This record gives sequence, C-alpha cells and structure tokens, in this order.
Amino acid sequence: MSETGFPLTRRALLAGAAASPFIAGTARAEDEQMVIATWGGDYANLLRANIDDPLVIPQHIKVVQDLGDEDPRVAKMYAQRRLPRGADDVACLQAVRAYEVEASGLLEKLDVTKVPNMAHVLPNLRTDFYAPHIYSPQVLIYNPNVIKDPPKTFTDLLDPKYKGRVGVGDVNYFYIMMAAALATSGDPTRVNTADAQALAMKLNANGLRLYPSTDAIGAGIKSGEIDVGIMWMARVVMWQNAGIPVKASFQNEGSVLYMSGMVVPKNAPNKPAAYKYLNAMLEPSAQRGFAEHMGYLPTVNDAPLTGKIGEQLAMPDPAPKLFMPDYGVLGKLQSDTSEWWKKNMQRA
Amino acid sequence: MAAAVSRETRQGAAAATFLAPATLIVLVMLMAPLLLLLRFSLNRYDRTELMIETVTGANYLRFISDPFYLGVLRTTLIVASVSTILCLLLGVPLAYRLARMQSRWKTVCMLGLVLPLFIGGTVRMVGWMILFAHGGVIDGITRLFTGHGMELMYTSTAVIAGIVSINLPFVVLTIQSTMETIDTRLEEAAGSLGAPPARMFWRIVWPLALPGTATAGILCFILAMNAYATPYLLGGPRFQMMAPLLYWEFSTNNNWPFASAMALLLMTTTLVMTACANFVIPARYRP
Repeated sequence: MSETGFPLTRRALLAGAAASPFIAGTARAEDEQMVIATWGGDYANLLRANIDDPLVIPQHIKVVQDLGDEDPRVAKMYAQRRLPRGADDVACLQAVRAYEVEASGLLEKLDVTKVPNMAHVLPNLRTDFYAPHIYSPQVLIYNPNVIKDPPKTFTDLLDPKYKGRVGVGDVNYFYIMMAAALATSGDPTRVNTADAQALAMKLNANGLRLYPSTDAIGAGIKSGEIDVGIMWMARVVMWQNAGIPVKASFQNEGSVLYMSGMVVPKNAPNKPAAYKYLNAMLEPSAQRGFAEHMGYLPTVNDAPLTGKIGEQLAMPDPAPKLFMPDYGVLGKLQSDTSEWWKKNMQRA
Repeated sequence: MAAAVSRETRQGAAAATFLAPATLIVLVMLMAPLLLLLRFSLNRYDRTELMIETVTGANYLRFISDPFYLGVLRTTLIVASVSTILCLLLGVPLAYRLARMQSRWKTVCMLGLVLPLFIGGTVRMVGWMILFAHGGVIDGITRLFTGHGMELMYTSTAVIAGIVSINLPFVVLTIQSTMETIDTRLEEAAGSLGAPPARMFWRIVWPLALPGTATAGILCFILAMNAYATPYLLGGPRFQMMAPLLYWEFSTNNNWPFASAMALLLMTTTLVMTACANFVIPARYRP
C-alpha cells in the first residue's frame, strides 16, 4: 500500500494503462466474427433480437449484418463465386432463389452433425443445402368490412364484381403464377403452361392492380383501393396486428407454401460460425420469436405456438391442402416466367 | 523569340505534368467500367454459369428485334423529352427573374431552389407518393370538390411530375448562371430603342442565354433518361423505363450480358440524342 493511502502507485497505474489495450485486444481476439447477408428492416431486427444477441454472441461470435435486397445479394454471390474467400458466411434466401444458386454450384452441402437442430426440421421442408427458417401458406386475402362472401378459389377473383378491386405484389409474381398453375392443373410447378398463363391474363384483364412492394398491398386494403388479393398468411397476421381490416381465405385448390431460409456459400470464410448460426436459428425460442412478431410458421417440430399467435396461425378445419412446391423444378423456370410476366402481365 | 518559345514549351510540359494524373484517373475510372460492360455485353448468358465468354452480338440483336424492349426505350425517350421541355418552360422564366432580382429576397429564393437538393431524390418521391396515392392529398381534395377522386399514382403524369421536380433546380441554376453574365445594358439599350419587353427577350436575352439553356436541357435530358427511383416508385410495375428494366435484367434475371448491352444501348441513345440537340442549335450559339 502506498504512503498516501491510495491503493495503486502511479507507476503501477501507468503500467496498467499501457497494458490495457493488449488485454482488451486479447479479449477481442477470442471473439470470432461472421457475416450474415440478409434483408433489412424488421427481419434484420428480429434476427438480432432472437438469434444474434441471445444465442450466438454468448458463443463469442460477433455477428455482422450485411443488409440489402435479395437480388443484389444473389448477384454478389455470383460475382464472388471464383474468389477463395467470399464476403458472407450465411445468406438469407427465399427457397426458389436458394435452389437456383445451388444449381449453379455456389452452396455448401450442410453438415448436419454441426447443426444438430436440423433433426427437428419438418420432413417436407428438409434439404441438404438449405436451412429453412420460416414458412407461410399463400392465401386469398379480403377486407371483411366489404366482402361478406369471401373468395374460395383463384377463379373467384375473375368475378366482374371484383373488377379493379384485386391487388397482388409484383415482386411475388412467381407465387401468383404458382397459384394459377395450381388452379389450372393441380401442380404448382406448371407455371409456364398456356392454361396457367391464360388464367393469369384473365385476372389481369379484370383490372388487377400490381403493387411494387408487399407492404403496398396492405396499404391498398387499408385505403380502400382494393378489397381482395393474394398474399402469405404471415402478412395477414402482421396487418391484423397493425389494425388493417384483412382476413385470410384458403383456396379450395390448395395453398402454395412460401419458404425462406439460410444457406452457406461454398467460399464462406467462417463456416464453423455459420453452422453455429444456423443451429441457433433453429432453436425453439428463436423460431417462436419470429412467429410472434412476423406471423411465420416455425420450420421445426419442437416449437409449438400458443396464445394469440397460436390462434391466429391455427389452420382452419377441415385442414387446407398445403403444397410445398418442387423448388428444384421451379428454379429452372423462374427466368422465363419473369420474362413472360414482364412482357405480358406488366405491359398489358 | 527562341527564349519565348522555350518558355511556352516548358509551361506546356508543366501543365501536362500536373494534368496527367487527374486525367489518367478519370480515364481509368470512366473507361475501365465501360470497357468491362462492352466485354460483358458480348458474352452469352447461361442460367447456371451466369456468363459464357464468347464474342456475339446476340444481346444487341435481341434488344433491337424485340418490340417489348424497343417500346420501353420509346417510353423512356418520350418521358425524358417531355420532362426536359417542361423543365425548360418552367425554368427559363424562373431563371431570368432570379438573375435580374436585386432585392434581398434573392438569397431566400436561391435557398428555396437549392433546398430540395439537400433531400434525397427517393425521399422526395415518397412525398409525391403521399400526394398522389389513393386517399392521398390530391385525391382527397378532388373528391371533396367534385365528388370523384383523382388517382395519379402509377401514371405517366406522376412520373413526369416527379422527374420535373428533381431536375428543375439543376435547370434553373444552370440557366440563371448564364443569364447573370448577360449585360443588363444590352436590355436597356433595346428598351430605349423602342423594343417591347417580349421582343427584347427574344432578340437579346434568349440568343445570349441559349448556350446555357442548351446545357441545362442536355443535363435534364440525360438525368431523365437514366431516372430509376422515380419511375420505380411513382410509375409502379406497369410503367416501364430503361433504368429499372436494366436493373431487373441484371439482378432478378442475373442476365449480365443482356443488361450490359442494354446499358450501352441506353448510353448510346442518350449520347446520340444529345448530339442531335447540339446540331439543332445554330453554330454561333452552341456552348
């Protein structure tokens, strides 16, 4: 003890101060870093709140979010395909885009021994290169204040009483075409058949409103611009929670399942951390968090939903027909379908 | 004499030395991406390989032989031309008034003109969306007075209004700076010789302001030809212009060769139109 009664001598204090950066540096060096390429907004915030902070950071992994839209994310994956080390360890993709990049050989085959929670993934959602994160059935939506007899099939939307009152998201064109294919042939992958295209054109001729974003459909219902549309069940729940008058009606012909998940690029610089992230994403607490805030269904069998969200996402009785499309087949058709949509549906 | 020549040579060499690095950087930064685009545009698209290296003009042929793409180019040209004409019609009187303004309000007016440039174009478009939307300000007011709404959202009117609002400050500032250089004594002389104001403007101010006006028009046209956020947000999916279509081809379809060809065709069309505009102006007034 020093004579002044101060527990540290000046020399010791200086020495400590000089050493502190090295101590901090040592602590930082123990934390490894990983990059997840994902959508921004609510999705990124929920990743942070339900996966990064409670489950990944305690494993001494610093998570960096690379925010952006899906298209540029995929373009970046293609651009970096020849590099030995890419920029991202995990990329969030819709199923159809994941199958597309997998067909191009850009994805790592997932090592399930490193992602133990993959064992809980629902069997119909399981693949060896894609960790499904959330999914939701595509449904017909309507404003219950205006529509008393809700539409039950895709062809109901062709009724002249709905002229100019039906809205869909232009960005969801592929899923609209899947619904048309399901209605005409019972097979959601037959998006490029003349029948499916003719049905979509009939819908277009009935004054279909194309919105540039998914959120714009909710705004359209709220403002009274449209009364019916096609959307994921998850969005219906979100909009209901936001006070928008909207309800879901399952199509008699069945509902296509929208699915979003995560992949590991072949040239991911930190694959061990990426696997830990995927495993955390499949934890029941993380899955429930996304269901409660975004209305998507858990992709695992050990995260049952209870309370209000359980009621909102409960399937009607009798149970609707749900179709998990063969995204492997659809991935090959997307380019042609998007070209057809642009030239015929948008330009009409 | 020889000493003077030698000094000029030395000065020339010094100037070249100072200019060389900047010129080189600009050339590399400008030319390298363009050359890369040109190379990409000659490749062939493959769904899984993305691009197969070859030398083919198929992408250019596809564009010029498909009525859909030519239609989009035509729409882009019409929107850019109409926006440019409107900007000039609104911008010339505004610029002239500002140039001749002497009061302290001139600073306030200039600030009012420049202030929108401090806000991003996309943010301003969101403002227009609130005005144009179903149940929005314009729709609400029209419904109040006429009983019928007015939906401007996702129309060509909305897109042109948006582009004019973005380009107008550039046009006014460019023309105003030219008009500031016109000697007011020339106008006074015309007036003292009996020319009414309109005749004085057309015979004195307009010809002298023509180089600046042409520059403003060209600037506006180039900006309008390459507009992305405005047609995307205010035009909606059914209103197609070149820049959003090009981006869609690049990102959604991953067809980089065709997107590169589209980019070069858009650039070439813009350059050709700009050159044509230059020829329309009498040689003695060209900038």
